[in-house]
Amino acid sequence: MSETFTIRLSVNGCELEGRAEARTSLADFLRHELGLTGTHVGCEHGVCGACTILLDGAPARSCLTLAVQASGARVETVEGLAVDGELHPIQRAFLEERGLQCGFCTPGFLVSTLELLRRNREPSDDEIRDALGGQICRCTGYQSILASVRRAAEKLRETDGG
Amino acid sequence: MAEGRFVGRSVHRVEDPKLLTGSTRFIDDLALPGMLHCAILRSPHAHARVLSVDTSEALSLPGVAAVVSGEDALRWTERALTVPAGWGTHCLATDRVRFAGEPVAAVAATSRALAEDALERIRVEYAPLPAVVDAGRAARPESTPLFEEHGHNIVFQRRFRWGDVEAAFRGADRVVERSFRWHRLGANPMETFGVISQWDPVEGSLTCHGSFQSQSQMALGRAASLRLPSHKVRLISQPHGGSFGGKGGSRGTDITALLSRKAGGRPVKWIEDRIEYMSGGASQSWDRHYTASLALDRDGRVGAFRVKLLDDLGATAEGFGAVSAAKPLASFTGCYAIPVAEYDLTIVATNKLPGSPYRGMGPPPHNLVLEQLMDVAARELALDPAEIRRRNFIPPDRFPYTIPSGNEYDSGNYEAALDAVLELSDYAALRARQGAARAQGRLFGIGVVSTIEPGVFDWNAYSILGMPSTGVPEGCSVAIDILGKVIVRVGFAHEGQGQYTIATQLLADFFGVELADVQVVPQDSLSAPPHFGPGGSRLGVALAGAVLGAAEKLARKLSLVAAHLLQTESEKIELRDGAFAIRGVPGAMLSLAQVAGTMLARSDLLPPGVEPSPEATYVWTAPGRTQPDELGRAKSYLTAANACHVVAIEIDRETGRVEILDYFIADDCGTRLNPATVEGMIQGGVAQGIGAALLEEYHYDASGQPLTATLMDYLLPTIHDVPETRKTAIVTPSPFTPLGAKGVGEGAMHTTPAAMLCAINDALSPLGVVATEIPATPERLWRLMKEQPR
Repeated sequence: MSETFTIRLSVNGCELEGRAEARTSLADFLRHELGLTGTHVGCEHGVCGACTILLDGAPARSCLTLAVQASGARVETVEGLAVDGELHPIQRAFLEERGLQCGFCTPGFLVSTLELLRRNREPSDDEIRDALGGQICRCTGYQSILASVRRAAEKLRETDGG
Repeated sequence: MAEGRFVGRSVHRVEDPKLLTGSTRFIDDLALPGMLHCAILRSPHAHARVLSVDTSEALSLPGVAAVVSGEDALRWTERALTVPAGWGTHCLATDRVRFAGEPVAAVAATSRALAEDALERIRVEYAPLPAVVDAGRAARPESTPLFEEHGHNIVFQRRFRWGDVEAAFRGADRVVERSFRWHRLGANPMETFGVISQWDPVEGSLTCHGSFQSQSQMALGRAASLRLPSHKVRLISQPHGGSFGGKGGSRGTDITALLSRKAGGRPVKWIEDRIEYMSGGASQSWDRHYTASLALDRDGRVGAFRVKLLDDLGATAEGFGAVSAAKPLASFTGCYAIPVAEYDLTIVATNKLPGSPYRGMGPPPHNLVLEQLMDVAARELALDPAEIRRRNFIPPDRFPYTIPSGNEYDSGNYEAALDAVLELSDYAALRARQGAARAQGRLFGIGVVSTIEPGVFDWNAYSILGMPSTGVPEGCSVAIDILGKVIVRVGFAHEGQGQYTIATQLLADFFGVELADVQVVPQDSLSAPPHFGPGGSRLGVALAGAVLGAAEKLARKLSLVAAHLLQTESEKIELRDGAFAIRGVPGAMLSLAQVAGTMLARSDLLPPGVEPSPEATYVWTAPGRTQPDELGRAKSYLTAANACHVVAIEIDRETGRVEILDYFIADDCGTRLNPATVEGMIQGGVAQGIGAALLEEYHYDASGQPLTATLMDYLLPTIHDVPETRKTAIVTPSPFTPLGAKGVGEGAMHTTPAAMLCAINDALSPLGVVATEIPATPERLWRLMKEQPR
């Protein structure tokens, strides 16, 4: 199993390169090879959604995706949201509405929200639930997450308008 | 103070910017130079003798640095200390395995994948033994003992009787009795346990980074199990992704410590994977069989409450799982003025995963039982569930109130909470909706439940099972630096409850500075003042006590210096708007920075005999706690929060699926230090309570094999399962705590399962059947409806 492959991909707009075994998951590659530890692994079998990243713009479980599959792809992670420490409107909304407690599942919720709000600036509650139905949070009971996404949508609409 | 600029307000959490950017360092985000990775070989048998373990082939694999097995455990470790005593094992099986998933051997290699490859090369010979899986059979003398030295599987047995229960039942107008089954469930934080252990062969010391809920507690346990002097064990708790009591980690810490020792002191990391967590970690709690009864008069007043509990602990008493059967004594009779009670408790060992603590620590199943019986009685007496509760509430003028099992409730106004939630829910309209739904043949149910959440946990609650202590000290140090910034050093890591924010709010108000002028700095187990950290709905209250105690001590010290510099007496100095000022003299003031800076950099200006340290430490513990008397009665948990929930549900007759229609909550946890944090705790507890009521269950087959080892088999509530609840606050401050706050961290877990099952049974009542088992899965409810009496 020791043969390794060179993986080149774009992460949060940066062209990066690293090496991985064929069996290495994208989550492990991002975290341990590229040092992007903001993406978390909660269950390693694709249920909890903590490891969700955007792969060519679509949400994907990085624990079920092999690093070699992401070769040449465009990956977006939580690290790409804030600019110079300035929170993204989605992060700001989660802060204001308390859409997190322990914060371990949060990166997955944030990128899933990003993907939802890119395609739908005014989602209904049911559309939010559908978009986040694959993300498990054990702390919040989801009410504040729902409120966070509503507020994030408002903020982004204001930005659009401005 | 409770209405300061920051305390009492929903200020944003200081923890959140780092969490939201993914820059908080959780344990698996940490790497140390030369670090190895651990994988653990686990028993495939629920019960077997271990005849031999051959690790030679694994050790010969390139990249493998060390392998450990039972013989290393015998050489270097002791059995885990347990409560009750004598039901612990070594971290690796020595001669016997007692549950499927028990660690048997472990490998440290240059990568986790390689370490897992090496596990396949370890050969273990087992001789299977009969598995004890059924709790009722475990209690019988003929069951195969898990621990031969005991000769039986009864871990603990005692009947507590408070008052003349027999007479109360004999004289009752009505007795209701039911049996209930609460199936195994557990914490399942989104982050499992993880640790990096490093043995120092020169010092003979151990340093561990890990997701430790209580690093001091864990450090003491490791010193004992690893036979190390306590001052040679340093634990550093990393921020962690939730715990809810179920983080565990003692075996993993010991195993990685042994591997590091064998690998010459290289650091060894182990990140528990989800399957390991679910089949071998701190994931399972409360496997309970109840029979309980109430004695009532014809008006519905309860004269006595009797509970018989058979608690299926699993294989060992490691990890404080057993003591959760003792906590119900802290709130045995709930919100009700029930004069006498009995608790007949048997805890048995079986070949399942050892039980662990979980949010609520025991009372949630107990509350479920009491609240169901209240509803059964209400139906028999044709009383509304709200009315039977109202008739039995402890009246607000009788606090502090001592319950039969010995604990003292600090304060409460249960009728006010009930009225508030009935109003919030428009209860009459809800009942009218139910009437209309029933007329259409729909199974519409309403649950109305009032419970107590014991807050500020104390070890003395567990003395009856052998825990020797009273009091749980929580300390912190508060310092002002040379530029006037405030630093508070604490003994716990971020876990999710927002306690750093609470400390920041308190100190910003106390010293009159901005939130951004305060920094919370976590310390390791050897550096922090005496501490426990989060657990038992305690830290908010305990931390407030510690922070305010330290701040007051420090202010007195700084006042002496300020008085000297301002040429006045310290009694005339007051702390106002971030400065020490002479009372009544405008302009005569020194800033925090001036006073602290003088202490640290101008010793020539200090009054004689003043220590140049703008810093103070204070350790808080709950006042007035007592050891149990001969009947097991103690003043244990300091606060009694109260919640009243109203939930409306509908059961699908065809599928047995429960849909939650509306959920209302009135919660009284005294003064709210940060209301948004309190609401988050409550809503999170609702979600876990709904999981308990409808979804979550660990299954075992007849041979003790776990059948729920992934999150595909064990269902956690998703955003589709948890309703948005409407909440209102009642505030009855505690007379016993620093700001009148009560413990609320375990929140709605105490109430939601009971409320859900009450609603389900209200829905089922036209069919004449009663659900007595949770989770009330679609299958269980469907079967119950099919078996209904015609």
